[in-house]
Amino acid sequence: MSAPDDDHHHPAPLSPMEVRARALEALLTEKGLIPEGFIDAVVSAYEDDIGPMNGAKVVARAWVDPAYKARLLANGSAAIAELGFGGPEGEHLVVVENTPTVHNVVVCTLCSCYPWPVLGLPPNWYKSAPYRARIVREPRVLLREMGLDLQATVAIRVWDSSAEVRYMVLPERPAGTEGKSEAELAALVTRDAMIGTARP
Amino acid sequence: MSVRVEPRVAEMTGPASPPRRNGELVFEAPWQGRAFGMAVGVVERLGLEWTAFQQRLIAEIAAHPETPYYDCWVAALERLVLDSGTVTAEEMAAAGAPVRVNAP
Repeated sequence: MSAPDDDHHHPAPLSPMEVRARALEALLTEKGLIPEGFIDAVVSAYEDDIGPMNGAKVVARAWVDPAYKARLLANGSAAIAELGFGGPEGEHLVVVENTPTVHNVVVCTLCSCYPWPVLGLPPNWYKSAPYRARIVREPRVLLREMGLDLQATVAIRVWDSSAEVRYMVLPERPAGTEGKSEAELAALVTRDAMIGTARP
Repeated sequence: MSVRVEPRVAEMTGPASPPRRNGELVFEAPWQGRAFGMAVGVVERLGLEWTAFQQRLIAEIAAHPETPYYDCWVAALERLVLDSGTVTAEEMAAAGAPVRVNAP
């Protein structure tokens, strides 16, 4: 029907809100509030600097590089910074490792502290009162309701975040992934796996 | 151009939090991404607290619960630049953006 190059140039009619957004952008540009390239820079900062892909890359590196994993568990912030990720200064990222006998899960019982530099934007349930209360009181039941059925032999550790210390779970590497590349491994790691409410 | 992520934007929760999938922002159309960047950037350039925008966004969503998220987002930004005296209603109208007077 159309050449591939034309795909991005369909003259679709603008929605009324898109018209308003463009008018506002033109006006604010005229006021000198939006320098050339500024909006693109803001959007790419938010798309690249937050997001679970950052955390997934950290996890995949730890799975393939035992020395990195040791550094990650010893000093999460420093090891994560090695890969170019990190949040505001003064916030410590602590990485807790899942094993065949220990499962970790993260919560913030006081507010909504969340390691967004590695996990992206928090899910709405993370701040919900039921999650904050029940993951402490009855983690095994709640995790099962969320789709993660842990064997009774697996101990559950709940980590309560604060403004100073934020936690990220290092999930176990799934069986049967020996031949996968680091990038393929990263693609297996979801946000929920790094909060501890799911497994990769 | 280097831009730092504002923690207060990243940590928004509840009805005012942006649509996302697996922790990443989701824009259904390119203009929504531009509207996101415009608000975040303009709030910073005006030297305002993020809460100044966030409160207007919450009010827009509460007043128009059926309205899509980024429609409320643009309306909240219009409200903010009007309230802060950055632009006048006349300028807004002249630019082709009709000023919506919201019910209280």
